Amino acid sequence: MAIKLELIKLRKEYGSLIAVDDVSLQVEEGETMALLGPSGCGKSTTLNMIVGLELPTSGDILIDGQSVAKTPVGRRNVGLVFQDYAVFTHMTVRQNIEYGLRVRKVARAEMNKQVDKIASFVGLGDKLRRKPAELSASELQRVAIGRTLVTNPQILLLDEPLSNLEAEMRHQMRRELHRIQLETKQTIIYVTHDQIEALSLAHRIAVMNLGVLQQYDTAYNVYHYPRSTFVGSFLGNPPMNFITGVVKSNGGQRYLDQNGAIIPLPPSKPLTAVPDGKSVKVGIRAETVDVVPAGAQGAFSAELLAVEPQGPEAVITAKFGGGTIKFVVPTSAVPKSTGHVSLVPHANLLALFDAESGVRLMNGAGS
Amino acid sequence: MRRAGRGFDPNNKKYIGGLLITPIQLLLTALLIFPFVLELILSFSEWSPVQGIGLWEAVGEVFTEDLSQGINYNILITEEPRFLEALGRTALISVTSLILEFLIGLGLATLFLKAFPAKRVFFTALLTPMMIMPVVVGYTWYMLLQYTGPVNQVIGWIGGGQPDLQWLNNGFLAFFAVVITEVWHWTPLFFLILLSGLNAVPQNPIRAATVLGASDWRIFWTVVMPSMKGIIIIAFVIRGMEVIKLFDEIYLLTRGGPGTATETISLYLYKLAFEDFRLAYAGSAGFIILILTVVLINVMLKPIRYQLLEKR
Repeated sequence: MAIKLELIKLRKEYGSLIAVDDVSLQVEEGETMALLGPSGCGKSTTLNMIVGLELPTSGDILIDGQSVAKTPVGRRNVGLVFQDYAVFTHMTVRQNIEYGLRVRKVARAEMNKQVDKIASFVGLGDKLRRKPAELSASELQRVAIGRTLVTNPQILLLDEPLSNLEAEMRHQMRRELHRIQLETKQTIIYVTHDQIEALSLAHRIAVMNLGVLQQYDTAYNVYHYPRSTFVGSFLGNPPMNFITGVVKSNGGQRYLDQNGAIIPLPPSKPLTAVPDGKSVKVGIRAETVDVVPAGAQGAFSAELLAVEPQGPEAVITAKFGGGTIKFVVPTSAVPKSTGHVSLVPHANLLALFDAESGVRLMNGAGS
Repeated sequence: MRRAGRGFDPNNKKYIGGLLITPIQLLLTALLIFPFVLELILSFSEWSPVQGIGLWEAVGEVFTEDLSQGINYNILITEEPRFLEALGRTALISVTSLILEFLIGLGLATLFLKAFPAKRVFFTALLTPMMIMPVVVGYTWYMLLQYTGPVNQVIGWIGGGQPDLQWLNNGFLAFFAVVITEVWHWTPLFFLILLSGLNAVPQNPIRAATVLGASDWRIFWTVVMPSMKGIIIIAFVIRGMEVIKLFDEIYLLTRGGPGTATETISLYLYKLAFEDFRLAYAGSAGFIILILTVVLINVMLKPIRYQLLEKR
C-alpha cells in the first residue's frame, strides 16, 4: 500500500524543552494510526505539526511523498477534530458543516448536496437547523467530524475524540468512529492517552513518552512485545509486572535471582543470549501466568496478599522478593487458601529488559 | 409558650429581614422616589421658582385647574424646535463618536493581540485619557483647538501657512471639535473592553477555521466577531448611556455654541433649568429623554437579552 504520511526526524523545541525528539514514522493509506502516550509526551505537538498549527524546529513531513512542512496551515488539506469539538456556537449545524466548503467557494447547490450527504452519514440529517447549544456532546462531536469530512481531507486527525464523553457515549462513539473508518477508508491519525481506545481502533500504535517515540508497531505487537519498560507499563490494566534481578545459571536451568527470590527463565532462544551476572528486569504481563500446583516445572512462588474478584476474572496481588506483583487469572483458578501461590509465566511472552535503561534486551516474536 | 396562629412572631426570619431593611427603604424613598414623583407631577405644569408661586401650590394646581393645560404643555415640548434640534444633535454626536470609538478601539485591541516593542508603555498610555476628569479634558482641548493653538500650528507645519480653521467658532467645525474630544477621551474604554473580549474568545474554533483553510479576515468576521457580540453590545450600552448625557466637555469647549451648533440635550436642559429657571419645562423634557433612553437601551440589549436572563 502507498505511504500516505511520513514523518522524518520531526523535532520541536520550546527553548530548552524538547517537546518532540526526532520522531520518524510512516502511515499507510487507509490505515488508522494511534499516537498514544501520557499527557505532555509530545503527541499533541506532533499532531499540530502535521496539521500546520505549529512549525517544526527541524525535520520534514511528507504527505503523498510531497513535503508539506512549509505549506501554511489550511493548505495541507488535512482535517482536524478537536478534543472540545470547537464547533462554531453561533452557527447552525448546517452552517458549521458547510464552513469549509464556503472557504473553498463551492457553489450553493453543490454545497447543499454535499452537506446533506455528510450530515446523514454522521447521523445529523434531521438536526441541520439546530444550534450547538441544543445538541448533546456526542452530537457536537458528529458536527465536528462532519465539518471536517465534508472537505474530503487527505488525512483525518482526531485529538482525544472520546475523552469528553461519558462512558456510555464513549462506547457508541467508538463504534461510530469504527464505521466511519470502514466506510470512508480514510487515513486516520488518532491522538489518545487511553490505551483501550488505541488498542480497539488503531491498526498501528505509536507510543510516545517525553517527546521520544518509544515503539511504533501493530496494536498486537505493542501490547504483547513492548520494546521498553515504559511501553509495558503504559499499556495493560493492571500494567506489566517488572521484577529486577540478576541472571544466573544452575546446571542447564537459568533463573532470575532477586536477593534469593527466584524466577526460572524458560530456555527459549532470545533469553539464552543474555549472559550470566547481568542485571535485568523481567516483564510479565498480568494475564500471562498460570496458577499451578506447588513444585511444578518452571514455577516460581509468591506470597498471596489479596484477591479482587471481577466477575469471570480476579486480580491477585502477591508479594515477591521486595515488591508486589499483580496478576489476572480466571476466577476458577484463584487459590482457595492464603499463603504461597505457585505461578508459571507464559514462556513466549516473557520479556527481559535492561535494568538501567529499560530497553528490551532481545526482541521477542514481534521482530 | 409560643402563640399559635398568624400573628406577629418576632422569631420569624421573614419579619426580621423586613424590619432590618426598612430604614434604607425609607431613606431611598425620601431621596429618590419622592423627588422623582414630585418632578413628574410638576412636569405637567409651567411652574418656575421666579413666578412667585410656591412649590406645593404648583403641585396643587396640577391636580386642579391647570391639569389639562399641563398635559398639552408636556406634548408641546416635543414640537419645540430647539428641543428637537438638541435631540437630533445629541443623536448625531453620539452615533458618530461611538462608531469612531468602536472602530479605533477595535483596531487598537486587535494590534494588542500580537507582541510588539514597548507594549506595556503603550497600554498604559492608551488607557490614560479615560482616567482624566472630563473638565480637564474639555479645558485641554479648548486650549489645543484655539485659532492660534497647537492643533492649527501642527496642521500649518504639515500643510504650510496658517490654516483658517475656527474649530470652536465655526458651527460645522465645532461639531468635529466635540467629536474629536469625545473620541480621544473615551476610545480607551472601548479598547479595554474589546481587548478583554478578544482575549476571551475561545481559541479552538479559530484554529478549527484555520485548519479548514479560512483566511484571517474571514475568521475575524465569521468566528471572532460573532463570539464578541455580547461584549460589543455591552460596550455600546455603557458608552451610549454616557454619551447621551454628554455635558462637561461641550460646556468647556463651546458652551453649546456657536449659537446652538453644539447644544446637546444636556446643555439644553441645563440652560432651561439654571439660566431660564423654567424648572417644570426642563423636567418635562428630562422625562421624555429618560423614556427615550430606556427604550433605546432596551432595544440595544434585545439581541443578548435572552442570554443575559437565561437561568443556569
